[in-house]
Parts: sequence; C-alpha cells; structure tokens
Amino acid sequence: MRLALVLALLATPALAGVEEVTQQHLRPGVAAFAEATEALAQAARADCTAEALRPAYDAAWTAWSPIADLRLGPTEPAALTIAYWPDQRGAGAKALRGLLASDAPALRDPAAFAEVSAAARGFPALDRLLGDPELSGYGTNSPTCTLVQTVTADMAAQGAALAEGWQAEAEALASAGEAGNARYLTEDEAFRALYTQILSALEFTADTRLGRPLGEPGRPRPTRAEFWRTGRPLPNALASAEAAVAVAQLLAEIPLPLTEAALDQVRHAAAAIDDPTFQNIEDPTARLKLEILQQRVRALLDIVEAEVGAPRGLQPGFNSRDGD
Amino acid sequence: MRPLPFAATTALALSLSHAALAATPAEVVDTYADIAEAGYADSLSTAQELQAAIEAFLDAPSPEGLDAARAAWIASRAPYQQTEVFRFGNPIVDDWEGKVNAWPLDEGLIDYVDASYGGATDENQLAALNVIANPTLSIAGQEVDASTITPELIAGTLDQADGVESNVARGYHAIEFLLWGQDLNGHGPGAGDRPWTDYAQGADCTNGNCDRRADYLRAATQLLVDDLAWMAAQWAEGGAAREAVTTDPQAGLQAMLTGMGSLSYGEQAGERMRLGLMLNDPEEEHDCFSDNTHNSHYYDGLGVQNVYLGRYVRPDGGLVEGPSLRDLVADTDPALAEEITAKLDTTVAALDAIRTAAENGTAYDTMLEAGNAEGERLVMAGVDGLIDQTRSFERAIAALGLDAVAFEGSDSLDNPDAVFQ
Repeated sequence: MRLALVLALLATPALAGVEEVTQQHLRPGVAAFAEATEALAQAARADCTAEALRPAYDAAWTAWSPIADLRLGPTEPAALTIAYWPDQRGAGAKALRGLLASDAPALRDPAAFAEVSAAARGFPALDRLLGDPELSGYGTNSPTCTLVQTVTADMAAQGAALAEGWQAEAEALASAGEAGNARYLTEDEAFRALYTQILSALEFTADTRLGRPLGEPGRPRPTRAEFWRTGRPLPNALASAEAAVAVAQLLAEIPLPLTEAALDQVRHAAAAIDDPTFQNIEDPTARLKLEILQQRVRALLDIVEAEVGAPRGLQPGFNSRDGD
Repeated sequence: MRPLPFAATTALALSLSHAALAATPAEVVDTYADIAEAGYADSLSTAQELQAAIEAFLDAPSPEGLDAARAAWIASRAPYQQTEVFRFGNPIVDDWEGKVNAWPLDEGLIDYVDASYGGATDENQLAALNVIANPTLSIAGQEVDASTITPELIAGTLDQADGVESNVARGYHAIEFLLWGQDLNGHGPGAGDRPWTDYAQGADCTNGNCDRRADYLRAATQLLVDDLAWMAAQWAEGGAAREAVTTDPQAGLQAMLTGMGSLSYGEQAGERMRLGLMLNDPEEEHDCFSDNTHNSHYYDGLGVQNVYLGRYVRPDGGLVEGPSLRDLVADTDPALAEEITAKLDTTVAALDAIRTAAENGTAYDTMLEAGNAEGERLVMAGVDGLIDQTRSFERAIAALGLDAVAFEGSDSLDNPDAVFQ
C-alpha cells in the first residue's frame, strides 16, 4: 500500500496541487477577508446601526466562507474566535448580555474585548446584535452601538492577524518534505492535510449546518440553524460546498467532471429552497427540500472521496472536529 | 560523548529494534483488547465501590458519608478516563459512551440550581425542569409520571429528553452533580458545595425533596454500574468488542490509531481543553462540579499512551502488558516509533503539570479565566502536545499500510463504483 501510494504520487506530484491551493485560494482568501473586515469596521464607525451595517456584514461573510472550513495553522483557532458555532449552551448570548449590562473596558476597547469569550466575538456577536429584534433597534449613541464598533474593530484586527499569520503555514505547505520542515514531513502529508479539510467541510455542512436544524423526523429545530437571525443558513451551506469543490479542483490538478456534476446538484437543491433562514421547515415540503439539499451534499462528499482521494489511495487524516 | 558515525548509529538502532520486536498485528490487538478488558473491569469495580459508599451515605447521611462518596467518585474516574481511548475507534463503545460519560449537561433538568443559571433556553426547553422537585413533568407536550424515580425513568424518559444532548440524566456527571452540586465560585477557588443535609431525611432536609434526591442518586448509580458491567463483558473472551478488533487485526490496528487520534485532537485538545480556554467559561471543564478536571485530562492522555506502549497499570498496581503498537511501528520505521514515544511522553508530562498545579491550589477552572497567562500556558502545552502527537499517529497509519483499510461508512472506498451510479 505504501509503495502504491508513493508510485501514485510520483505520477502526479502532490505538491503542485498544494501550491495551487495556497497561492490561488488560501492566500487571496485571507487577504480578501482582511479587507472585508477592515471595511466592516470602517462602516461601523461611520454608521453603527443594524440596517446600515448589513451590506458590509454580508460582504464579510462572502469573504470568510471560502476559507471558513479550511482549518489549518492559524485558521484553526481563528475559526473559533471569528465564527464560533454551534453554541449549544448559549454562551455567546450570555456573555453579550453581561457586557451590555456592565461598563467593562471590553465594551469599547478592542484589545480588552479580545479577551472575552470566543462565543461573543466575531460573526456570532453580530448575528445577535444586528439580527435579534430585542437588540437590533439600538441608536447611534447607545452602548450597543459602541459594542458593535468594538466587535467589528476586533474582527478587522483578527483579519489582519490572520493574513499575517497565514504566511508561515503557506510556507510550511509549500516546502512540504524539505529538510527542516517539521510540520509536513512529506508532500503526501500536505496533500492529505488539505484533502482532509475538504471532506470535513462537506461533512460539517451536511451533518451540522443542515443536520442541526433538521433535527429528528417530526421535530424540526429551526432555531438551531447557523446564524439564522441574519439570514446565513443557506448562503453559508452553499458557499461551503462551493469552496470545497474549488479547493478539490486546485488540489487534484485533473478534471473532476463527477465532482462538478455533484456540485451542480447541490446548487439546484439550494435554489429550490424558499427561505434561506430555514425558519419554515415545520412545513413538510420545506423540510423535504432541506433534506434533499443535505443528501446532495453527502453525495458530493462521496464523489470527492472517489474522484480525488481514492485514485491516490488516500484516507482522510484526523481533524479538529473529530470529537463529539 | 563522542557521536557515533551515522552508519554505525543506524545499524545499532536497527539491530536493537529487531531484537525487541517479533510483534504481530494479531498479538498487538490482543494486548489492546486485554487492556480494554482490564480497564472496564476496573471501572466497574470502582463504580461498585462508589455504589457501596453512596448506599452507606444514604442509609445514614452525614458529612463524613458524603466525603467518602465523593472520594469514591474521584477514584472511579481514574480507570474510566483511561478507557476513553477505546471510544472513537470502536462503534460498540462510541454508541454506548453517552450513557456513562455524557457532558456538558444542563443540570437544572435534574435538581435545583442557582438563580444565575437561568431557565429554559432556545436550545433546551427542559434546561430547568427539576425532576427531583416535580413528581409530574411535561416533556415535549407529553405529561410524564415521575412520582417514582427509577433507573427505567431516567434511562427511558429523562436522558436526552426532547432529543437535546445536554439533557444528561445519567452517568458519571449526573452523579457528580448530585454529590457536589453546582460550582458557584466562577473562576475563584472551590468546587461545588452541596450540603450533606440535601440527603438528610425529615426535618433536617435542606433544599426540599431529600427523599426523591436520594432515590435519584441511587437509581443513577445503579445505571452506571449496570452500564459498565455490560461494557466489561463486551471485552471479555468471546465479547463482541473483543471479537471486532481481533477477528481482523488490520481493522483492529486501525481502531487503535483512530481512537488515539480522535481522542487526542478533536475531543481532548479541541472540545475539552482549547474550547474552554477560548470561551473563558469555568463551566467548560470536564468535571466542573467536583473540580476534578485535571485528573480527567491526565488519565485521558495516559490512556492514549497505554494503548501505544501496550501497558496498563491497574488501580491495585497490577500490570497488564503485551506486544505493543510501538513494537509494530518500530519494525517498519524505528525513528517514527521513537518520535511517537517521545511525543506521548511530552504530552503526558504537560498534562501532569496541569495536575500538579491543580493539586497545589490552582484549580483547572481558574486556568481558564480571561487574562490568566500562566493558566493559558499550562493548558495550551497540553493542547499542543495532543495535536502534535496526532500528526505522528497519521504517519503511523501510513507506515503500517492502514490507509487501505476502509473507514466505517466510507462507501467510496468499500465500493468505488457505487457512488458513480
């Protein structure tokens, strides 16, 4: 098996694909996220109100989604402080309520804010502050406005830090197998690390992004959808599948017709969904459409395994979401 | 010391490793199953000691009786946590594990809680149900008769009620809550401080319903003992879990490494350690009522090392030992075998440092506090070690040719044609 693997890798050098992913997907991805979060922070300084901020908020998501599920190096902890979810015990809401009721420095000082619970930072905080009707009606001279400005400033700082911190991981991936690289001892390890992220992204989307709101038959859980207060459930699920395939194409360096066809099926299933927040899934037809989307994402996962992994005899490695 | 020439060193290493080996996959998975059998048997016997201590306490409630029950609970955790490494690789264990070690829990389901706990949440309508105070319950629109608290009521109706994971009604952590109560000290020192009089009968009873609280504790403890007895039998000669790993030794090796890697990285480093640090939440610690988390983490890490070295020290000092995964890896790649050995040592030392700090007065929950740099350093050393060793486990999977063994539920590799249809 080991020999077969080595031969396969000799036939199609793994590192070329790894470099394509870092140069064409991840490097521009973290740069775009840094820009989008800086723009979001500027927008919040100009007008912090929920309605005014929504376009910049959505643009930040558009920048984050392509890299959100590629958890390697600095993006792995960043995924928690930028987009912590699911928050099963409501830690974010609790921490935000506590902050708003206090006069803590973290309310207005982004550096102090960086020490608060990850569940109350980044997108989860904005989903509540911009999307919860009990909070989102704040005016420009309110503590909530100040907190929104602090949250977005912290996101901009995180975006900049990620763009900076990513360089080391990009270099480690690019130099896989070279002397002195303790992170990736072989090119195969770098390839596998990215491949694992593709599979775990699709699995997370099927099982968690879509599976949590679906709940059990007869017991849908619409309020468990991902950042449903600000309309993110469907866009995030679709963007995750798009990103996974984009990375697979760069990594594999061969045409992936079956994977592309499976992605088309995901797009069709997503287009059939009427409410992007999934709040209508008590309705059997709406629920069925969401189940179909989940099946399509699972099918895409199987196809990627078969078309990208199997030819190289690759199994996914361990990932940060292996726990329960 | 003058370094030996490279070729001589290599030759020496090779000859040493060849002298030490002669381990076959079949022998290695036998050792693995033997360690599991002993670990679950020890978990069972220490749970029976816990049950005896709880019965003695409930028969004649006293401060000393509660202390003895708490000490027995802490003792019972040491062997059990060392079995967590068997979880992720073995479906028979993973499907069962939630019955005994589910966490975190919304403890208001079971008993009274402090006002700061809040009530029902978006996620869990039953977060403050309080079974002990309410003989009649309403669960997802159904009326439930809870006038008698039995193992059947807990297992069949209350646990995972309304399909919510944090409705944990059974297992170690439910018992822990019943012995210690909520830890209301936040990041400050001190564990839960439930008064022994919560179990005093008659006029001395505090916080009401002491009879029902005693019934709950008895029933939950019985369930734990029964569940552990079941799992111990699965690993005994002829048991299904033993058969599953020994029938096909290659699959057994994969189960070993899957369990080691998934526990180390996603579960322990991620869910249990780094997440608590990032949420700065004193409740985000594994044994949050008893402040025993430092031991839980340590024994989890030790369990991973046990499986690799083929060696388990029982609570009575007895030794279970046999041909090991380390021997097998050394046969293929001696340098990798040593790399893994060294990384496991580093991790266990880091987890032991957390334990030492906790025993010297820096409780694990205080390490999670925002701005506690020394606490963060201690916890992150454990996290880093766990993540780092996982990378080497992946190398072992490749070195042993286990890539070819299909993972559970992977249609594409079992049957590549199926997915193209």
